[in-house]
Parts: sequence; structure tokens; C-alpha cells
Amino acid sequence: MSKLKGAIVAAKPSVEKTIIGMLEKSMKKGVFDAVIIPMRAPSGDSFAYVLVKDKSLLKDATPLPPTMFVQGAKAVSSVTRLGKGKIKIAAVMRPCEVRATVELAKLGQANLENMTIISMDCPGVLPSSDFLKYPEKNIKLFNEAAKKLDDKMMRPLCQICDKSSMVSGDLHIGTLGAKKDTFFLISNSTKGDDAANKLGINLKDNIDSWQTKVKTFSDEKKKKRKKAHKELKAKVGGIDNLVETFSHCINCHNCMRVCPVCICRLCYFDSDKVKHSAEDYLERAESKGSIRFLPDTTLFQMGRMMHMSISCVSCGACEDACSMSIPVGQIFSMIADETQALFDYVSGKNLDEPIPLVAYKEEELLEVEDSDD
Amino acid sequence: MVEKKHITDVLVIGAGIAGIEASLMLSKADRKVHLVEKTSYTGGTTIKFEEVFSNMECSTCMVAPRQQELLQDKNINLLTLAEVEEIKGNPGDFTVKIHKKARYVDMINCIGCNACFEPCPVNLKNEFEEGLSERKAIYVPCAGALPNVPMIDTENCLRFKGKKCTACQEACMFGAVDYNQKDEKIELKVGAILVATGFNVFDSKKLPKYGYGKIDDIYNALEFERLYASNGPTEGKIVLKDGKPPKSVAIIHCVGRKEKGYCSSVCCMYSLKFNHYLKSKIPDVKISEFYTDLCIPGKSHQKFYEKMKETKVNMIRASNVEVAKQGKEISIKYNNGSGKKGNLGVDMVILSPAIEPSHDASKLAKTLGISIDEYGFFQQENLEDSSVVSSKPGVFIAGCSQGAKNIQESVSQASAAVGKILSSYN
Amino acid sequence: MKRKIGVYVCECGPNIAEKVDIDKVIEAISSDKDVAVIKKFKLLCSADGKKFLEEEIKKQDLTHLVIAACSPKDHEKTFMEVSEKAGLNPYLFQLANIREQCAWITEDKDEATKKAIRLIRAAIGRVRYHSSLEKKEIDSNPDVLVIGGGIAGIEASLQLARPNRKVYLVEKAPELGGLVTNFEKNFLSMKPLSEIINGKIEEINTNENIKVFTNSEVDEAVGFFGNFEIKVKRTDAEDEPVQFDVGAVVIAIGSTLFDSKKLPEYGYGTLNNVITSLEFEKMNKSGKISLKNGKPPKSVAIIHCVGRKEKGYCSEICCMYSIKFAKYLTDKIPSVKVSNLYSDLCIPGKTNQKLYEQAKGKNVNFIRFSDAEITKSKDQLSVKYKDENGSKTNLIVDMVILAPAVEPAVDASKIAEITGIYQGDEGFFEEEHEKINPISTSTEGIYIVGCAQGPKNISETLVQSEAAAGKILSSLVPGRKIEPEVKTSEISEALCIGCKTCLSICSYGAITFDESKKISVVNEVICRGCGNCVAACPSGAASIKHFKFKQLYQEIREAIK
Repeated sequence: MSKLKGAIVAAKPSVEKTIIGMLEKSMKKGVFDAVIIPMRAPSGDSFAYVLVKDKSLLKDATPLPPTMFVQGAKAVSSVTRLGKGKIKIAAVMRPCEVRATVELAKLGQANLENMTIISMDCPGVLPSSDFLKYPEKNIKLFNEAAKKLDDKMMRPLCQICDKSSMVSGDLHIGTLGAKKDTFFLISNSTKGDDAANKLGINLKDNIDSWQTKVKTFSDEKKKKRKKAHKELKAKVGGIDNLVETFSHCINCHNCMRVCPVCICRLCYFDSDKVKHSAEDYLERAESKGSIRFLPDTTLFQMGRMMHMSISCVSCGACEDACSMSIPVGQIFSMIADETQALFDYVSGKNLDEPIPLVAYKEEELLEVEDSDD
Repeated sequence: MVEKKHITDVLVIGAGIAGIEASLMLSKADRKVHLVEKTSYTGGTTIKFEEVFSNMECSTCMVAPRQQELLQDKNINLLTLAEVEEIKGNPGDFTVKIHKKARYVDMINCIGCNACFEPCPVNLKNEFEEGLSERKAIYVPCAGALPNVPMIDTENCLRFKGKKCTACQEACMFGAVDYNQKDEKIELKVGAILVATGFNVFDSKKLPKYGYGKIDDIYNALEFERLYASNGPTEGKIVLKDGKPPKSVAIIHCVGRKEKGYCSSVCCMYSLKFNHYLKSKIPDVKISEFYTDLCIPGKSHQKFYEKMKETKVNMIRASNVEVAKQGKEISIKYNNGSGKKGNLGVDMVILSPAIEPSHDASKLAKTLGISIDEYGFFQQENLEDSSVVSSKPGVFIAGCSQGAKNIQESVSQASAAVGKILSSYN
Repeated sequence: MKRKIGVYVCECGPNIAEKVDIDKVIEAISSDKDVAVIKKFKLLCSADGKKFLEEEIKKQDLTHLVIAACSPKDHEKTFMEVSEKAGLNPYLFQLANIREQCAWITEDKDEATKKAIRLIRAAIGRVRYHSSLEKKEIDSNPDVLVIGGGIAGIEASLQLARPNRKVYLVEKAPELGGLVTNFEKNFLSMKPLSEIINGKIEEINTNENIKVFTNSEVDEAVGFFGNFEIKVKRTDAEDEPVQFDVGAVVIAIGSTLFDSKKLPEYGYGTLNNVITSLEFEKMNKSGKISLKNGKPPKSVAIIHCVGRKEKGYCSEICCMYSIKFAKYLTDKIPSVKVSNLYSDLCIPGKTNQKLYEQAKGKNVNFIRFSDAEITKSKDQLSVKYKDENGSKTNLIVDMVILAPAVEPAVDASKIAEITGIYQGDEGFFEEEHEKINPISTSTEGIYIVGCAQGPKNISETLVQSEAAAGKILSSLVPGRKIEPEVKTSEISEALCIGCKTCLSICSYGAITFDESKKISVVNEVICRGCGNCVAACPSGAASIKHFKFKQLYQEIREAIK
């Protein structure tokens, strides 16, 4: 449990503008050389992560956009995949995006040494397809819902997310439990402490009210999550239900491509290992009577799930991108909870905690082993 | 004057774990090795164990790859059923006379199918199985013995006793059974000799207070190893004479220690191993270990002891242990640590006997011209220096033939002897 | 290139022929794709059989060879040699075991025949995708680095050094000899040790094939068996490190004693006349055994097993040297009373029990104890303990000698890091195999001997040093090239995602990380082909030669079709 330190910051005229102001100031003072932050695209109905060098452009930034077209971790990690770089960068992302970034750092896909990661209490995010129906209207609706902590419009996974205020980066903007026109600036690391110091912010305030509100909120969500999982398991559990659930799948692999922790250069399921000869297909058709094409979709789903479950951050990017509206995120997230629980692991929570893939001990798996003991 | 070149070939006597290690190392150094083994198989006593301490690794799995390597190694001339009769000469230039008994089965033609066993009309106690099961007059000592070629026990074979019988030869499709083979006298020239002839165990019958040989269900350590072995007489089932598994077992350490005058160093550890054996086959069995001092040196051994303690084994420090039959049970009388008398009833007793020099050690010592110590083990030349150097230059000793020790120490001595040979005899 | 696979079924006498309908097998397989020829033979491993195969390979111009016979453990090597002799790369061959895995496990001829056909088809399916593999040869350096100039390092150096093999002996202290120079006698023989130790040191100093570095430490040891690059620097000066190459490394850094101050109940460091065994050895060697006040002790308690519970193992030598101490004391101070407090007497070995029995006497007592506590009692010491029956007892003595547990040397972790070998839970170096390879480590060419490997006495130490010499003399022969493993792992540059999972999995240090390309790279010379990296690689970038996905997939596919 890291000792979080915090400061109460005046949020005038708004939380958003204050954050942007702080980022501008930090660039001016040389605390950061660049900032990665979502920004509204000129066309109006899309938001994208932008690496900003010219601090005057920060005024158009939107730290908490209504959509997550690209999972922030993908954007941030691609900057430092080949090395930490010489410039100091601040990245502003949602908690699940931060956790995915931390996982990617563990997997050697990002170097966070020169990066300061800033997150905020997240109200959820709108499903992309919903947003695109009425973009302008939805921006307004999202902002209102965010203020009221109303998650009915958000992604199904956001509605049962109990980690929407989890701090795994360097700094965090805490709006829950904050008095009117203020927010908590919370630091989780020496990098965070450093940045706050350089901005003249003294991290000596009491953040109990934030922590209490976060816990209450998270506990409620946990209950919701448990209930949702129970219902989902009943619906998709068992091989028949599973096959039916994925019967719409067309093997487009969108889910895999948008997933921040699916990092293989060439997915097994895109390789020639799954390309078989005509005789093979004929044989399979013979033994079962017929074979559907494109084949092996459930195999793809289960294979991908097995591969990334230990690192899944339940962001829902996969479900968002699914062209066939399969609740793939909810299913994968539910199983990820159980996989990670086996090893007492929470993906992306702590950069120093190694991924169980290389660190687990035999004794940890006894309950899933078929043993006579 | 031209200095006489040393002969680089080496004679290794004994193809147990130490002899095998030494032979393979010497072969790697491109030395030709004559490996003389008294029995028909390699592996010695180590292959009688199912598992070894302290990680309970499968013993035969550990040794088999080395035995295979040995059999296929072109530098190693394995002479089984052979014994050294005479050596003459000096270090660097020994002349050795070997008496090699005929196997009566051709080692090249035989493919190890075992078809010759069944038709043999003679049934005998199997020595490898410590007499717990039977073999024929044509036999391999155990399943998986290497080389996988049977031999004929001429002392009990009908044909060799003058009767008419060709049952085994008729059963062989490869013409591998050859009654015309003769014992051979082989003369070898070698530069150095390594003796690694192993050990025997103290005969527990010499101590009637343990009831061994008189009371049923009392086994010595080697017999119990065979009982537990998956390729043994009961295929690993631990049962009493009446066929039922024991409910309670006593393991008695230090049998013969006082008589021999030394601690055999491995018994405490293998007695704890027996605890593991028993618990793995009979989870509810009650086990009591009667010991005097627990001798478990080594970085990993105490850990194993702690693990065994968790299985609730009853460790009893005892003296004056006596074993007697009491009705259907076996009763153990003893004095505990405080001197108080104790009594325990059990179904089965396992005795851990002292390790002795092998029974022909003194004969071999005379043949080789090396000294034996007061206990009958081969004597090292200098107590302050290397323990593998015997009293005769050019002759080295390793393993339990030099003194009771565990496998790790035996293998180290074998390697050390090779080191000595390679560094001094070039 | 068109494949021409030759399939040969061995009858193995009646073993296969009577249990499998070989003619039916031939009939089924002869029309399979790529099968140029399928024949049977009575006994392929015989001289005739091998000749037949050699001729067939040449005559039929085969590109691949499949033999259906016994277990690969029996004759894979044999048939690979035949292939090579006939000019066919020995890795373009696959052996289908239709004896142990088929003919020998069922009486049902029909089932056996069906299974044999499957097994052979599986072998054919696999062999189609085999690639030629070539043996490699690399030069090796026969010289040896010995780290530690105690008795273990000294013995190893003496056994190894010759004109065609230099030994570099590196010792941290100003003098060679290590701990044993403090012992007057060895408990095995009770004869003076100094003669033999000094003799060996003299031999080292006059041996022109041994270069000794005292006041020195190893700074770097990189490379692999046959080719290590070593850097040695002085501990007492700022000179440039000395660099040289060796082919093998022997680690003989010895041990140290458990710090008895950690157990305040023994009063070490706080009470006068409570000393450790090493301090007593030194005192004895100096010629005068005395208390702090200069007088000889009239009564001494020797306490065994100090720190045993904390360390979790028995240090093997303490009972015996405690018996030796009793002898030192009674020899030098005839009226002294000695009490040995022990928990379990550990005296294995043929002569040790005799020594114990000789040491016991009217003035030497052996007392089984537990829970000892030492306090001051006027100008003497009070040793409170529980005896065998659990009753509290008190013993008043002038001097207490503690026998602390033997611990790994203080430099053990540093040496482990420099050389890349592992330490076990107790901190001693980890051997490759507890029983049959106790002085090799998982890094080929690096050996551990003496107390660095685990607590042991001088005799066992000498054996291990000689054993290391044996290992090196037999495997690192001057002029002989080293043939590393052929079936090694390879990592695809295109597929590697740089997650470094394989790096932590490889027990042999065969994988390094290329920082510029951000990919893992396998050193083919160190790789032992264990396959752990292939199993662990999350992105399928790692694969093993001769065990490629396609080979295994096709084999399984044909087997279960």
C-alpha cells in the first residue's frame, strides 16, 4: 500500500481548465518537455491522444473525453517502445489506461523512466458506436453524467468497474469527496512528488475524504460487479453457451488489435499455424458432418483470453471495437478477475510487481491442478 | 635414455555408480577404459532404490542415462561376469589378468526380449530382489537391468549339471543362447587402476535380539527397498506376509553399529526416506523411528527431516532395542532417552543395518596389493591427504569400498580418482 | 525439391513380426505421398541391417529416412550414424517406435497393426519438415581460473597445472592457505596439519604453471565453457585489472562462521572467556590455551549446534572438531575437565567413532542438552541447560567454546552474480545435481568445491577439488574443439516483442538482450536445447531446431487422424 500524499487545489474556473493550466505551467517551467493528452479533433466528432510540444495548443485539450477510441496505453507506449527517450513527458489518461501502460512497461513495451503518468477519477466512457450517433449531443450528456456519477450511458464494463479511482501512475486528480471548486492532487511516487514541488504545490493536505468516498464507491461497484458476473456466467458458461455467444464472431480480430496488452508481432491466429490444407478441412468436415467458415472462432477467442488474461485491465476496448456487438469485454474481464485472483495479482497496479508468468511458484497453482493429494 | 611412456588405458573395477562415473569421465578424456564387473549388470546397489534422498528423485531414471551412455561408449570395454585375478607391474605399466565367466548368451545377437525365461524349468531365489522373489536359471536380475542380456547360472542350470535341457536355446529366435561359450582369461595392460567395488550390509541375523530371519515381516533396508520398488517383487505394493498393508511400522536405526564400531552415515537419511515411502503408499500408517543420534549432515538434509516430521512420524531416541513376536503383533522393547522402559506393538519392522566392506574386499585387496583398514575397507595412503589414493601407487579407491558414504560422496570420489589419474598419469 | 522418403520396417525377429502384420503396414503406407520405397528387414541394427540401410539410402537416392523399429533410446544413435555414413544428414531421419510402444504392449495383432501404421505415418509426417542440421566446433582454452586460495583452491590448482594448462589462482587475503592454516591438527588423523599445508603452498609457489594473485579479487567472468574472459583486480591498490582468458572456473571461496552474537543467550561478545571454535583453534595453534587472565582453564564447556536451528542444517564438522578440542585440551592441560554439550552426535565415517570413544574419559563428558544459556558466575561462567530428561541443570566452567554453524563465505552472492551461478536457499552455491553432479553448476565450465558448495571436512574438500580437476581434465582437453548442442533454440527477430520473459527462464544464461534492436538473442554455443524458453515465450518467437511447430503438429496430426 503506497503512502499517497495529496494537496487540495482550487479548481477555478473548472477542474478541466485548472489541469490544463497546471500542464501549461509545468511545460513553461521545464518540468515536462511535452504532454500526451486527449484532444478534440478539428472535425469535431472525435477525440485522439496527441503528443503536444507547443504548450499554447494545450488550451484545446480534453483530459476526460467522452470516448476512448484508442486505448491510451497503446498511444503512450508507442512513444517509448524503443527506449525512454531524452525528453520528459507527462501523459494524462484514465486509470484503466494507466494500468495497461504499467503492464506494457513490465512486458518491455514501454519505458516509463522519463514519463510522469497522470490519472483522474473516471466516470466511465461512452461506447464509441453510441457516441457517433449524435456526437454533439453526447458530449453534453457525457459531461452532465460525469458530474452526477451517472453511469447508465457508459460502457457495460465501466458500469461495473471498481477500479475507477485506482492510482497506479505518478499523479492523480481526485474529484470524489472534494469540496466544491476544489480537487485533490494526489502523488503516488517520487516523480509525482517532484512535479508537484516544482509547481509549488505542497502535498501536505488530508485526503481522507477522497479515500473514503472512493472506498464507498468502489465497494458499491464491487457488489454490482459480482452480481453481473454471476448473471453473465450463467448466460455464457458451458461449451454450448460459449459457442453460441461467439457464433456471431467473424474473426475480424478487431478486439485483438485494439487491446492494449495484446502485443505479439504476429498473432498465432494470424499465422500460418492456423492455415490448413484442403484435405485437413475435408477431414474435419467428414468427422463432424460439416465445418463452418471461417473456422475456429471460439478457439481464437479462448486462445486470446488465455494469453492475455493475466494482464487484462478490463478497459472494454475490445467490446467497443467488436463489429458484431459480442460482449467480449465483459466475458474476458470476468475471467481475468479469476485468473489474477489465483496469483493475488492485480494487473497494472504496481510497476515493481512482476507478472506471474515469470514469477509464480508451483504451490500457487495447486488448487487448479488435477492432483491425487 | 628414452623414458618409457605410460600406458594410458585404465582398469576400473566395479560398475556401480562410482565406477560408471569414472569410466564415462575417462572416456571423455579419450582414455580406453576396461570396466570389470563381477555381476551381469551395471548400476550396483543404486539401482535397487526406487527413490533417493533428499528430493525423492527416481533412482533408476537418474542412473539409466549413464548406463546407456556407458553401453554405447566406444572407449569403454565393459567386461561383466569378470573378476581380477592377478596384477603385476608398476604404475604406468600394470599387467592385469581377468577371469571372465561365460554368460552363455551372445551379447550382440541377443535383443533382450526375455523369451528364454519362461521355458526354463528351474526356479531359484532372486538375489537382486534380496530373495523376495524368484528367477530362473537363465535370467536378468531385474526388469530394466543393463546390459539387457540374460546369463545362465551354471550352478543351478540343469544342463550344466549334466541333465538334458535346451529349453532356453529353443525359445530364442536369434540363436543368441550359446552353450559352447567358455570362460575366458583376459590379459590387459593398463596404466592405472580404480577400485570401486561397493559394499554389503551387515547381516542382521548376527543380532538375534532383532528377530531378523526368525520373525515374519522384519525386513532389512535393502529388502524394503525392493518391496517399494515399482520393478520389484510386489511391483511396489508394501504388504505383510498375509498380503495386507501394515498399519504400523517400526524403523530401527544403527543395527550393528556397536559391533562394527562406526556410524554408516547414510542410514538416518534413508530411514527418513522410508518414512516417505510408507506414507506415500499407505497414508494412514503409523511410523516410529528408533534412533540413537540423528546423523543428517549436509545443507539439504535437515530440511528433508523437517518435512518428514510434518508427517507425524514418531521419532524415539532409544537404546537396548529388542524385537519379539507377541501374539499377532511384533513387540518392540526399548529404553527411551530418559532411561525409562518402553514397549511398542507394530505390524512390520525395518532394520537399518551397518554398511560393511563387500565380502570379497580382503581377497581383492590381496590380489591388488593394497591395504585394508581395521574395518575391512580399502585404506587410503595418507589420512591428511586425498582419500582416493590407496597404499599402492597407481591404484585408486572410490565409493563405499573406501568407507560408508552416500551417492554424492561416492561420485565425487570417483571423479577425484579420475582427476588424479589424468593429472599424474599422462 | 521432390521428397523421397525411404521407410524401413524392422521385424526385430519375432518381436515385431509376430505382433504386427508388417505386410499390411507396407501395403497401407506404400502409396502415401512422398514415400519412395518401403521395405522390411529382419534386424536393422545388425551389421547386415546397417549395410542394407546404407546401400538403400544411396541406391534409392533418399532425401529422408524413416525407420520403424525399437525405442530411440536403443538405436536412434545407430541409425543416425548409418545415415551420416551414407551421405544423408542424420537429422533428416525419424525413428518410429513400433516395439516398446506397440508390439510389446498388446496381444491384439489387429490393434497393433493399426497403431503401427499410425506411428509410421506420424514419423513420415514429421520427417517431411525436418531440416539438415550441422555439428558445430569451437576452439577452447584449456587454462583454468581458481577463485579462492584455501585448501580447496590449492588442491585444485596443483591437480590441474601443467605446461599446456595454466592455472590462475586468485586469493583475496595476503597469503594462501585459508582457514586450515589456523588448525593445529586434523581430526581424521590427529597429526599436525601445517606440514602438509605448507608443503602444498610451497608446491604452488614453485610451480611455473600457476600464477598466484594474492590481495586480489575477480571483477568479471564473462563467457562460456572453453571461452571465459576474466578480469582480476587488486584489493589493496588502484592498478588496472589484469585480463586473461580461461576455459573453466573453479570456485573455492570457502566458508565463514555463523555470528554467535546473534544469539545473546550464549554471551558471545559480552562475557569474557566465551569464544568461537575458530578463535580456539587459533589460540591452540599459538601454543597457549588460556583465559583472559592468562591462566589455563580448569574446566571447559564446548557447546555444539550454535545457530543450527536458525540456519536449518547440520554443519557436519562441529561434533568432530569438538572431540578434537577435547583432545587438544586434555593433551595440553592434563587435569582439565571438558564437557561437550551436544544435541545429536554427528560422527559418520569409519574412524570418527573410534576417536569419539578414545576422547571420552573420566575428564571428558558428553552431555545431551537443549536450550543453553550462559551467564557470568563470579569469575567463572554458568552454563544453564536442559538435560536429556528435560530437567534444568547448571554447569560452572572457566571457558566456553561455541561451535557455530558453517555459513557461506561473505563474498558468495558477489561471486554468484559475477559468474552467473545460483545460490541455494542456504546461500551455498547450487550444484547441477545433488547426487550425481555435485560439483558442476548449471553453467557449463564453472565448478564449485569445498565449503563453498556446502559444509564439509578437509578430506571431503580435497576430494571435491580433485573431482573438479578430473572434470576439467576430461572435458577441456588442450587442442580439442568443443561440440556444442546441435538442437538449439532460436528466436525470430521479426516476432520477438522484447518482453524478456525468456531471459528469466533460461537457467544457463544462454539468452542475452540486444538493447538496440530490443530483442532477445540466443547464444547457440551455450544453449543446451532444454526448450524452456520456447514454452515460456508468449509470442511464439522462440523455437527449437528439430522441434519446430510444423514438425510436431504434423506428427500429432498423423497420429490421431
